[in-house]
Amino acid sequence: MRNRVWAAGVIVMATIIGLSVAAQNRTAPAGAPAAARSAGRGAPVVYARDFQPIGPNATGGRGGAPRGFNGSARDGATPAGITALPIDIFTTKDFYKDRALWSDKRYFRCNAGAALEAQWGANGTEIIGPKGPATAAWGYCDRDMPRSALVSPYPFKTAQAHYEALLAEARAKGGPTKHTYATVPGEWTGRYQRPAAAGNDTWFFMQKVQISTVLSLLTPEYQTRTVQEHFHQGNSNVAHWPSQYCWPEGFMRRWHPAAVGEHQIIVTPELVQLMTGVARNFVTNVYVGRQFNMEGAVPRLGADVPRWYGETIGFWDGDVLVTWTSNVQGWKTHATFEHSSKMQSIEIYSPRRDASGTFLGLTHEALLYDPEAFVEPLRIVRDLNKLSGPDQGDPYTYIECVQTIFPVNGKATPLSPGATFEYEVLDIFGRPWAHMWEKYNEKGMEKPRNDDIFDFSNSNR
Amino acid sequence: MLGAVLLAASAATVAPVHAHHSFSIFDSAKTKVFTGVVVRVNPDVNHLQIFFAVMNEERTNVLRNAKGEPIIWAVEMAGSAQAARQGISVNAFPPRTIMSVGLHPLRSGEPAGDRGDSPLFKCPANTPPKAGKHCDSVEGHVAIGTGKLPVATDS
Repeated sequence: MRNRVWAAGVIVMATIIGLSVAAQNRTAPAGAPAAARSAGRGAPVVYARDFQPIGPNATGGRGGAPRGFNGSARDGATPAGITALPIDIFTTKDFYKDRALWSDKRYFRCNAGAALEAQWGANGTEIIGPKGPATAAWGYCDRDMPRSALVSPYPFKTAQAHYEALLAEARAKGGPTKHTYATVPGEWTGRYQRPAAAGNDTWFFMQKVQISTVLSLLTPEYQTRTVQEHFHQGNSNVAHWPSQYCWPEGFMRRWHPAAVGEHQIIVTPELVQLMTGVARNFVTNVYVGRQFNMEGAVPRLGADVPRWYGETIGFWDGDVLVTWTSNVQGWKTHATFEHSSKMQSIEIYSPRRDASGTFLGLTHEALLYDPEAFVEPLRIVRDLNKLSGPDQGDPYTYIECVQTIFPVNGKATPLSPGATFEYEVLDIFGRPWAHMWEKYNEKGMEKPRNDDIFDFSNSNR
Repeated sequence: MLGAVLLAASAATVAPVHAHHSFSIFDSAKTKVFTGVVVRVNPDVNHLQIFFAVMNEERTNVLRNAKGEPIIWAVEMAGSAQAARQGISVNAFPPRTIMSVGLHPLRSGEPAGDRGDSPLFKCPANTPPKAGKHCDSVEGHVAIGTGKLPVATDS
């Protein structure tokens, strides 16, 4: 019986592999067809929706649906055909020492990032196993998205070069377009569906990419930070999600499925505003036709102050909006990775229409440049589907986060009014999540040491 | 003043402050003067803060408490955008920057204070002042604001 089950599993896996390979070849251009001729936008996209979730995760259970399991093994078992590593993130005593294993997906038991995060029940149902981390479940080792689907297909090394190339293309056509209120694509104004709606996922949801593949995108320091987060979510079960403490969401959370709901877009000739949010507000103001101040650590519009969501300029190329965001405050997106204050993005909003020309929404193509965190630029493409104009639906709700969960002795704890506890003031700009992990949950580990910034015995004096 | 670079002559004048808290928490009758090593700039919209470790008298390292931890003070000033226009920003004051500043301490005795009208002096990189001196004595320093460091009334 057991052999028949495994045989069936092999057939299923082989089928999935075949589907995945086929899916890798199914690409479609991003944005309007004309953009396919651009050197910097509209290149074919390998869509996450064409891939299977890696897991592991529980399925069903809600609304009386039967519980299921999407994964290759659980409760201490190892998947057929897979040789487990002697040490992995669920059994290690010191993940810092395991760097040589991080590039092996088995170190993470072939968990996708979002699945590993959910082992202890982050999303409602735990699957960690009867004996804790040692019995953590496995995802499917034969599932993954190709790395090429995650990185920029364009030749640009910097956001500036990318923006200037797109601007040159517009100029070659007589642009950039100077819209008036009579010509600006006002049909963009309105409400847009929550991007995480079915069938519109991206690789950044971290459900269809192996963690080792994600790590290959990052510089060594940011690899360490990412593994640190995965260890504390999947092993020590100490999640520090910024929004649970009413901390800022951070720039990259704009693409996280749980961080944003419906979008509201307002279009004028010189200013385009995008608003969305769940725990915090994400407000992107695109200042059309403005130029960045290039004197400083990074391009910026205003004062030399990093902004949580950056500052954005842009131009119109016909009915396509090309934007450049810079001056971003470094932060993290849980289950994914951290970004630095060097982050810059090129984002292109292109209208999508049906065969009759009816406006359906926007294709949002983002190229992410962060030379401190990423070894090469990344790319995320998603659709923003228009629901209605502003004349329908619920109004946008401006969010004020009221804190009810506090880090008590380094662990997120919901507290009621009247509760008291000893509070450590955290250095918000110094990776406060990591400070708590290192203080409470990494005893005995040998974290790479930083330089002593206080020693001036060998100074220039 | 040799090598001094005046970044913002207007900085020492009383600039409009959009305060989001009462300044009565600070004792304006007292002034402390520190030379310290920057550990963090908090670019808060309302009041930028610089957290710094107080240097020892020899200016070779920092003062530490009984646990061996650096003694950290905070000096707050105008909002981050206004401070940035004076030359005080995350990018201009990375960790390990040595600076000197005067402040009015908290009445509570906690290690923090308000910069008030004090100029702020930044030492050249990796160049602390000589023993007992401040950054305004170091050739090549950057001066933010006008005038001299205030005279300390409180040690």
